Amino acid sequence: MDLENMFKKRAVLAGTDSSRAGNKPEVPEGLLRKCNKCGRAIIAEEAKEQNYICPKCGGYFRIPAYRRIELLADKGSFEEWDIEMETDNPLGFKGYPEKLEGLKKKTGLREAVVTGRIRIEGMEAVIGVCDGQFLMASMGKAVGEKITRLVERAAKEQLPVILFTCSGGARMQEGMVSLMQMAKTSAALKRHSDAGNLSVNVLTDPTTGGVTASFAMLGDIILAEPKALIGFAGPRVIEQTIRQKLPKGFQRSEFLLEHGFVDGIVERHNLRETLARILKYHSKDNGKKVRTGQEEEQNQGKRELALSFQNMSAWERVQASRKADRPSGSDYIQALFPDFMELHGDRYYGDDKAIIGGIANFHGTPVTVIAQTKGSTTKENIERNFGMPSPEGYRKALRLMKQAEKFHRPVICFVDTPGAFCGLEAEERGQGEAIARNLYEMSSLQSPILSVVVGEGGSGGALALAVADEVWMLENAVYSILSPEGFASILWKDSGRAMEAAALMKMTSEDLFRQEIIERIIPEPEVFTVQSMYTVSETLEVKIAEFLETYMAMDPKELLERRYERFRRM
Amino acid sequence: MIQKILIANRGEIAVRIIRACREMGIATVAVYSEADAKALHVQLADETVCIGPASASESYLDMEKIISATIVSGADAIHPGFGFLSENCKFAELCEQCNITFIGPPSHVIAKLGNKQEARNTMVSAKVPVIPGSSEAVYDKEEAAALAEKIGYPVIIKAVLGGGGKGMRVAKTPEEFAECFQTAQKEAEASFGDKAMYLERFLIRPRHIEFQILADGFGNVVHLGERDCSVQRNHQKMIEESPSPAVSEELRSRMGEAAAEAARAAGYVNAGTIEFLLDDEKNFYFMEMNTRIQVEHPVTEWVTGIDIVKEQIRIADGKKLSYSQKDIRLMGHAIECRINAENPGKGFRPSPGTITDMYLPGGKGIRVDTAIYSGCEIPPYYDSMIAKLIVWARSRKEAVCKMQSALGEVVIEGVDTNVDYQYGILHHPDFLSGNINIGFIEDMERKQAG
Repeated sequence: MDLENMFKKRAVLAGTDSSRAGNKPEVPEGLLRKCNKCGRAIIAEEAKEQNYICPKCGGYFRIPAYRRIELLADKGSFEEWDIEMETDNPLGFKGYPEKLEGLKKKTGLREAVVTGRIRIEGMEAVIGVCDGQFLMASMGKAVGEKITRLVERAAKEQLPVILFTCSGGARMQEGMVSLMQMAKTSAALKRHSDAGNLSVNVLTDPTTGGVTASFAMLGDIILAEPKALIGFAGPRVIEQTIRQKLPKGFQRSEFLLEHGFVDGIVERHNLRETLARILKYHSKDNGKKVRTGQEEEQNQGKRELALSFQNMSAWERVQASRKADRPSGSDYIQALFPDFMELHGDRYYGDDKAIIGGIANFHGTPVTVIAQTKGSTTKENIERNFGMPSPEGYRKALRLMKQAEKFHRPVICFVDTPGAFCGLEAEERGQGEAIARNLYEMSSLQSPILSVVVGEGGSGGALALAVADEVWMLENAVYSILSPEGFASILWKDSGRAMEAAALMKMTSEDLFRQEIIERIIPEPEVFTVQSMYTVSETLEVKIAEFLETYMAMDPKELLERRYERFRRM
Repeated sequence: MIQKILIANRGEIAVRIIRACREMGIATVAVYSEADAKALHVQLADETVCIGPASASESYLDMEKIISATIVSGADAIHPGFGFLSENCKFAELCEQCNITFIGPPSHVIAKLGNKQEARNTMVSAKVPVIPGSSEAVYDKEEAAALAEKIGYPVIIKAVLGGGGKGMRVAKTPEEFAECFQTAQKEAEASFGDKAMYLERFLIRPRHIEFQILADGFGNVVHLGERDCSVQRNHQKMIEESPSPAVSEELRSRMGEAAAEAARAAGYVNAGTIEFLLDDEKNFYFMEMNTRIQVEHPVTEWVTGIDIVKEQIRIADGKKLSYSQKDIRLMGHAIECRINAENPGKGFRPSPGTITDMYLPGGKGIRVDTAIYSGCEIPPYYDSMIAKLIVWARSRKEAVCKMQSALGEVVIEGVDTNVDYQYGILHHPDFLSGNINIGFIEDMERKQAG
């Protein structure tokens, strides 16, 4: 039954009531606004209360600089610097001063960046926040000068720098003077960094042009807000130049993460906590001494062989090392470093998921942790490329090791790979060069390095994380020049004789211990899975603490000499 | 003068409101989602505005769209019905800011009464009895356990911002308290993002007795007697009646006075309902105040002769109540059965679909509030209640017989309904004797299962 137009209706009176004149329903100015992400009407005040995030689609709006600082700073801790600084008109650009005057009135800002000293969860830093309301936070002389002064003062006071970027790029109205700000700010950041200080960038929507090509991309750690536009050339310019439609998500934060240029994407409501953690990891108060918990006798130099060996053949151990449910790199991170903060990307090409790297707190000491990891499911294995790293994985590892060196953090590596990825793309991007570079740089990295082979130690792909002060192996881990199958196939043209090869290759932990290629064997339980790994992680925890206590106390010169000798004698 | 009302709701309550407007000479604007294009309320209204896709969050719950529809259609008031935005203080505030008359209490009153702790404090200061419990939010397990000792077991633990049974646990003994508190608090944090909890004495099998009140903008408050809503399944009311077989004339005047006092204390304006729990010794305790029209308002309308929806509109339009408490008399007995598109044999699973054929009862003392018609669709996106069958007779006994007869006449084809289940309740000896409490359905189902 269709009821359309079946009922008698009232003649509609539209707005005939004079008694309500001037009192008619209407939406007051500014009460509602349209979300520029989803297009829906939203209550302006509600979006503001929710950190300038659309209550309907979760899209991020730009946030005024002072409000941003309010969201981050310990209450009342922000002290603004260079408030009075304004730009002159270096080109004598017509209409520019008037435009600036108008903006100053409208925004209450003097220029497009607010700088000063801040405390976040009690930790001091300096902060610069770009404000897109002011000429799209383009960088002219005043912006460049404020940031440079901020960074210089941070270097002098040995404080970390936090820069929130949001910019259309260099300011056209100031011509070459603008371009020079890129060099000026970058140079200041270099000095700040060379003095051993931390800088963190948070890229917000949009970060483009000359800002991306200078101070935005130079942080030790680069974070981004979700879905922010980040790029050098703007998407419209690129489209016009190449006459192609750009793919969805091009130049967004997620795209940059995938391509290795940001360490992580952080939701706005998590930024304060994340920054606080980063500052804590880099705090100058971090104890240089690790608490071992139990004062064991110094056994440095003493070599001990674990007693409770399982009676297994080399081939059985090879199979055990490859078992699908054997804990891999990521499981050790979870078990040993509960507050691990992952950092992504090699800053050149990509983020390799076969290698996980980041910072964590180990018994009160910040450490850099790098782990090769396989997946526990097929899907995860495909994502992690079955634990076979690509060049970008090794370059990420090296980047994080260099970072560790700068901040005097020890490096702990977990090795578990069938080998470096063997493929067209890997060769194109220089797999050999990437591995070689790691051996080269690790040999003189001024931080203690420990490598633990937890599963398969597949050849050069493993060694690229194992040029260490000590190398340990789990009882049933293997470490070899090649897989036994490969060995058999090269020598005997018969990969079926892998079992025989395994025994000959001397690739088990016991063999390698006897050859003095490794320093320690960690016993395994008979059934070794994530559920039963606590005995292993407990041992590792104690032994890592001892390692750190010994090696962190060592003079860097001695450390490097010993590391050199460790390989020299082989 | 309110001349045009936008009804921010759907289903039978939208139809109910439109009918009241038609009778009062007020033009109506129906809003509807894409799933409701052919719904009865859309056909019946003078004007219609489609406000978005089927999902409630993108249509009936989208405040900005409803405000825009109001402005565009030139309506001067919004009736929110029940559910959806009816008790959303932000929405009421938005209406106030836009010069739109919200047919309900002021936004700050909704906000105050929507916060359980604040509502409770208001009642305590108005000397309305409340269930012994915490006077402030508790966060800490140890502190809560000490408080529970003071209140006396069993205690119920609830989330301050709670609702719908989430973040709620009953601890019968001190031994199980800690675990109950932790789970409830975890649930509360997950559901409402807030760890604030409160405790109160858990009453064993009380009755749910609620009082309808009307309050105008001039400080006049009357109560329209009680409704007994003890027949509930999982906190969902199934049958409501007025008067309650458990409430004497004397108790009614005491509880009614308390209800009116509660409304005065809250600065209440418009129609509202004070929910009480009544224990075996006839002690009653304030539970919460609902700041909207209720599903079960027809039973009160029938025993008092007052059209509550029309009163809501008059009060919102700034009119005075035209009667006082002494003019209110309860006449006879009214019962309402909620008819839902659901399958009681399959765990009351909702049963959306097309009504292929139907026949609804009529005759003296029978009222059906519904929005279904032969051929209409019951969309899966909204509440499953499709009709309310209300009867009136001079005595409870006669009303029960009338309801039994009327339920026996209901024919709804195409979707499953709970009509037979209701028919069963109407023949249950405990229901017939009026000896029921909020555990009635649970007991009945347990006996049937065992």
